[in-house]
Amino acid sequence: MKLYSIYILNKAGGLIYQNNLDPSLNRLTANDYLVLAGTLHGVHAIAAKLTPTIVGKDSTSTTSGTDPTANNALLLSTGKVQNSNTNKTGLGSIETDLFNLYVFQSLTGIKFILITSPNPILQKQHEQASETFRHLYVLYSDYVMKDPFYSLDMPIKSQLFDLKVGELAALV
Amino acid sequence: MSNDNIILPSAASLSTLSIADNPKSGFGYNPSLGPLSNTITPESSNILLNRKTLSLTPTSGNSIYDKNVNNKKINEINLSSLSFLFCEAVNWTHRNSKGIQDLETRLNGLGYQVGQRFLELIKLREGVKSSKREIKIIDILRFIHGTFWKSIFGKTANELEKSQDASNEYMIIDNVPLVSKFISIPKDYGNLNCSAFMAGIIEGALDSSSFHANVTAHSAPIDGVPLRTVFLIKFDEQLVIRESLRFN
Amino acid sequence: MTSYYFSIIGTRDNPVYEFEFSSFKNSLAMSTSTSVPGKSQFSASIKEMLPFISNSSLDIIEDAQWTTNLFYLGKIDSFYGLLVNAFITQGNIKFVLCYDVSNGTTQKYDDSSIKQFFIEANDLYVKCLLNPFYSVNDAIVSPDFDLRLKLIAKKYL
Repeated sequence: MKLYSIYILNKAGGLIYQNNLDPSLNRLTANDYLVLAGTLHGVHAIAAKLTPTIVGKDSTSTTSGTDPTANNALLLSTGKVQNSNTNKTGLGSIETDLFNLYVFQSLTGIKFILITSPNPILQKQHEQASETFRHLYVLYSDYVMKDPFYSLDMPIKSQLFDLKVGELAALV
Repeated sequence: MSNDNIILPSAASLSTLSIADNPKSGFGYNPSLGPLSNTITPESSNILLNRKTLSLTPTSGNSIYDKNVNNKKINEINLSSLSFLFCEAVNWTHRNSKGIQDLETRLNGLGYQVGQRFLELIKLREGVKSSKREIKIIDILRFIHGTFWKSIFGKTANELEKSQDASNEYMIIDNVPLVSKFISIPKDYGNLNCSAFMAGIIEGALDSSSFHANVTAHSAPIDGVPLRTVFLIKFDEQLVIRESLRFN
Repeated sequence: MTSYYFSIIGTRDNPVYEFEFSSFKNSLAMSTSTSVPGKSQFSASIKEMLPFISNSSLDIIEDAQWTTNLFYLGKIDSFYGLLVNAFITQGNIKFVLCYDVSNGTTQKYDDSSIKQFFIEANDLYVKCLLNPFYSVNDAIVSPDFDLRLKLIAKKYL
């Protein structure tokens, strides 16, 4: 799996961070990135509404964590961070022949979006994506949340965060 | 005789205690009264001889004076909580400051008090019997670079260097200063360095050991070490003269 | 019985804490007498001189400060039968103890117990310094500090 690009959206759907990790990608204008982010945010929310009955049915079965409120209660009681696989409150992933897109939403509504190269072995790809999200989330909470010069929901300009994301991409 | 216009030589500070505040329990020093305030009375003498426990203040039952601060075991605290606390400290300082220079000065001032306190505590932990007072410039610098740094930041500083240009300047270099580990300075903040707080700690420790110095923090990134910080220690000129008179 | 005057002197030569007392040793045997055990027996004329005697030794302390790297400086001064012992911390806080030996005393002059007293007083001082509401050179007004100091005075002197 190769990382093409990383997006971070705030809870209102505003783009607060975008990094093209593959230099061969064509750069879009800043406005286009914003539109793209807004669209993804909308699609994510719509996806949650598309299958309300399935969510309802699943919550009656023994597998816990499918109902959003139960999921939240479980998270609060166990303290386990949700990974991209259990995040069923919206769009989780898009898989195409050209690229794969993964979405991970934190408890506070921050969305991390990964765009990666497609991988024939899908199962492995999911694991890799959730592992990358975990690292990314740690970097975000360390280098963004603990920076006194960052204000919540504003664009991330931290050079250290940039640097660490670069290191992370090199590892994947 | 009026109570409030007598100034005794032992009234050292602007304490809120006035000459009328004679402690009723017989314990507690009052600088306005001097040794008269805590002199041994028949009651306090009786308490001392019979070792009665008594509650003098609301916190007497759980007083720091009954705790052992001398244990060598290092009590570590969570880096995240420290970072969030420091983050808020910087934010608070930033709100009150008038500019970048002012912000650095204020952070330095916050650290200063920490340095003063830690110096005595670390010397106490070293053991007053076995350890020595540092009386030479190079010894106090080694102490700060080594033991002192390790006690506060959990590791020794990376380098200790003497300036090539000035005889009264030294540098302590830390590759990853603990407090600013997660902090990136925005471009419009110039060469602000939040490790000014750590510079303040060093300055506090040096000043209270009578090595008066100015300590400033400067970013000096090299490849692969973006947070490398140089703490420039500039001693008073008189200090170098004192040293040469004493030890040459 | 030996009477003592203990003072803590700050970095600006300002008194931070003072305490007058006398040895508690043998005081129980004499408890039949009217005097209070531990109460200092300095005469009134000496009493008012005590802060001056301690402060006049500061020059000697300052000299010794840069010639030895010990914390305990030992006996550094004497003034008409009053002896002065001193201790200095890394943070430049001086502990000074004046005591009379001429006062018909039978108690042996014991340097090591004075040293031990200073070491424990230093321990108390550092704990006091850990209080965020106390800053260097403030007077120590805490009754708890006073009580602990009196207890170690009783224990060692």
